[in-house]
Amino acid sequence: MLDPYLPLVLMFALAGAFALFSVTAAPYIGPRRYNKAKLDAYECGIEPSPQPVVGGGRMPVAYYLTAMLFILFDIEMVFLYPFAVAADKLGLFGLVEIVLFVATLGFAYVYVWRRGGLDWN
Amino acid sequence: MTPTYYLLLSALLFSIGAVGVLVRRNAIVVFMCVELMLNAVNLSLVTFARINGSLDGQVMAFFVMVVAAAEVVVGLAIIMSIFRTRRSASVDDSNLLKY
Amino acid sequence: MNLLVAQAQQIEAPQIDYGAIAPLLVVLGAACMSVLLEALLPKHQRWAVQLVLTLGTLVGATGALIFYATSERPAQGVATLAGAIAVDSPSLFLWATLLVLAFGSVLLIADRSVEPGGAFVAQAAIRPGTIQDRAQATKTGMQTEVFPLTLFALGGMMTFVASNDLLTMFVALEVLSLPLYLMCGLARRRRLLSQEAAVKYFLLGAFASAFFLYGVALLYGYAGSVKLSAIATAAAGTDRSDTLLFAGFGLLVVGLLFKAAVGPFHSWTPDVYQGAPTPVTAFMAACTKVAAFGGILRVLTVAFENTQWEWRGVLYGVAVVSMVIGAVLGLTQTDVKRMIAYSSVAHAGFLLIGSIALTPEGTAPGVSATLFYLLAYGFTTIAAFGIVSLVRNSDGEATHLSQWAGLAKRSPIVAGVFTFLLLALAGIPLTSGFIGKFVVFSAAIEAGLAPLVVIALVASAVAAFFYLRVIVLMYFSEPAPDGPTVTVPGAFTTIAITLGAVVTLVLGLWPTFVLDWAGTGTFLS
Repeated sequence: MLDPYLPLVLMFALAGAFALFSVTAAPYIGPRRYNKAKLDAYECGIEPSPQPVVGGGRMPVAYYLTAMLFILFDIEMVFLYPFAVAADKLGLFGLVEIVLFVATLGFAYVYVWRRGGLDWN
Repeated sequence: MTPTYYLLLSALLFSIGAVGVLVRRNAIVVFMCVELMLNAVNLSLVTFARINGSLDGQVMAFFVMVVAAAEVVVGLAIIMSIFRTRRSASVDDSNLLKY
Repeated sequence: MNLLVAQAQQIEAPQIDYGAIAPLLVVLGAACMSVLLEALLPKHQRWAVQLVLTLGTLVGATGALIFYATSERPAQGVATLAGAIAVDSPSLFLWATLLVLAFGSVLLIADRSVEPGGAFVAQAAIRPGTIQDRAQATKTGMQTEVFPLTLFALGGMMTFVASNDLLTMFVALEVLSLPLYLMCGLARRRRLLSQEAAVKYFLLGAFASAFFLYGVALLYGYAGSVKLSAIATAAAGTDRSDTLLFAGFGLLVVGLLFKAAVGPFHSWTPDVYQGAPTPVTAFMAACTKVAAFGGILRVLTVAFENTQWEWRGVLYGVAVVSMVIGAVLGLTQTDVKRMIAYSSVAHAGFLLIGSIALTPEGTAPGVSATLFYLLAYGFTTIAAFGIVSLVRNSDGEATHLSQWAGLAKRSPIVAGVFTFLLLALAGIPLTSGFIGKFVVFSAAIEAGLAPLVVIALVASAVAAFFYLRVIVLMYFSEPAPDGPTVTVPGAFTTIAITLGAVVTLVLGLWPTFVLDWAGTGTFLS
């Protein structure tokens, strides 16, 4: 009865165990260095941007650009799920089509890259 | 739990979005209301897929998500470009084009 | 759960008729290439390479279309890509129309003789009103992304008119709209106006497409499929809830009428036509109109033909509202681009008459008439906006009507051609506009819409007044001493205007060939 869900339960257990292990092990085996960056608020792993006094604390425009690119490329990948479900039935045709699809995204990626969309400044 | 409730919820969300587009003044908020409408439709689509017992509706929801993402990108770019000039995203300030 | 797994196992690869969709593939493939070129080429080479690629694509796609249309093919058309795209006679006619109109628009878009560097901004990221903005206004060079955007929009339009299910139609609708939103905001001069137009078009367009999409969802719930033919089959049975069908139909049609700038859903039209760069306005006015009405015709005749008695009254009213708004508000305009915008709203009303002209026997005499009207209107509009881009003063186009006073004394040729085009828009004999109105109204009478035709004739007469007002202004007023000058156009704009004007004349004198072609077949159902 529960057979199809067993891998799922295992997956959850594995993920939980890994998280627990990482958190408990880190203080013991990691080096201990305290500096200013460690005490700062965490912001995607980079230095927090200064909050201007006027203008209500707006984010720099580069955030928008990165966020927009992320949304676009991230969400296109949703089509890979239906493809994966039917991959064996579609065979070579499906493979060619999905490669074409990713290649189309690749064109957009080349454009963004060459035009400096990925540079932070 | 009948699927009809989901259709009602979807209609409600769609209406909230539509009213929001008409009454809100900030272009970003107006735009968020449009996104709410699109996602309300997604809820309808998957509910109908459930009622009809077919996969089509779920795949359609994927397409709508992707189109909505593309729309977000284009929309934010346009709103941002006018915001940089005006320092305001209010739709009431866009008043140069009047008879 | 198991049901869905079972369904996933039934999925199989669709049959693709590559010959039939070759024009579509050429346009969309070239659009992707164009993006790549934009990324890889150095700045000074882009304009020339993009222009050659774009025009070459349009010629190549037209060639593929002619090859397919003249080859051995099923008379009623084929549905390919698992029934998502229907390539039938109306599709082929609309594709050819779109390709040729896009050719004219691309010539206007690429022109660099009228405005040094072209009508588009050098760098869209420059903030309007700054020093850099004043510098870019006189600098040559333009944002060449306009070319791939045009190709993507065109690809969307071609998919839209051929789409055989509502999901394909929705995706195509967005593919055609999103590039247009961006292109609206790229004017070189009057940047803020242009950006405002883009914001308005975008917000209202997104709002309308949400309605369209909700309509699709409700129809999916009604018919269990989004295929147009499946909706028609479901509507023929009587055991289902009509609420879903008609709510879905209403929402769907609102989205379509918005794109076509019909009647009460026109509010974006004058603002966007005025604010957008004039070549983009020409592209929008001609090609978007063709695409939107192509879609409306297919949806009404394929999916909703057998419920026509329920919805015909509503669209009847919408057509009347559209004609009245276009004709009456057009009278009060003082800007030539806004005036043509209101004229397009009135024309949308006439086109809607053709679209709803279905007979009880199930024939659609309005289809071929509407197709002809779209072709004729598109060419006239492109030429008219081409002329508008020529009349300029020191800060760009002089679009205020008072500045057009006495234009005939400054440039008799430009005033003459514009007069001819305005007469075509008004529907005076010997122009394509007259033939278009004639065939649409005849079809409407055949379908029993005589009262609507009477209203349309009155609206045409009112609309003719504001066209004539411009003509009188150009010929019988004294030019202002500091009035605008008429730029002598370079080859591209000259070709575009000549093409538009000549087709308007030729279709007015010998329309038979095109009328026959438009009437060769019906929609695949």
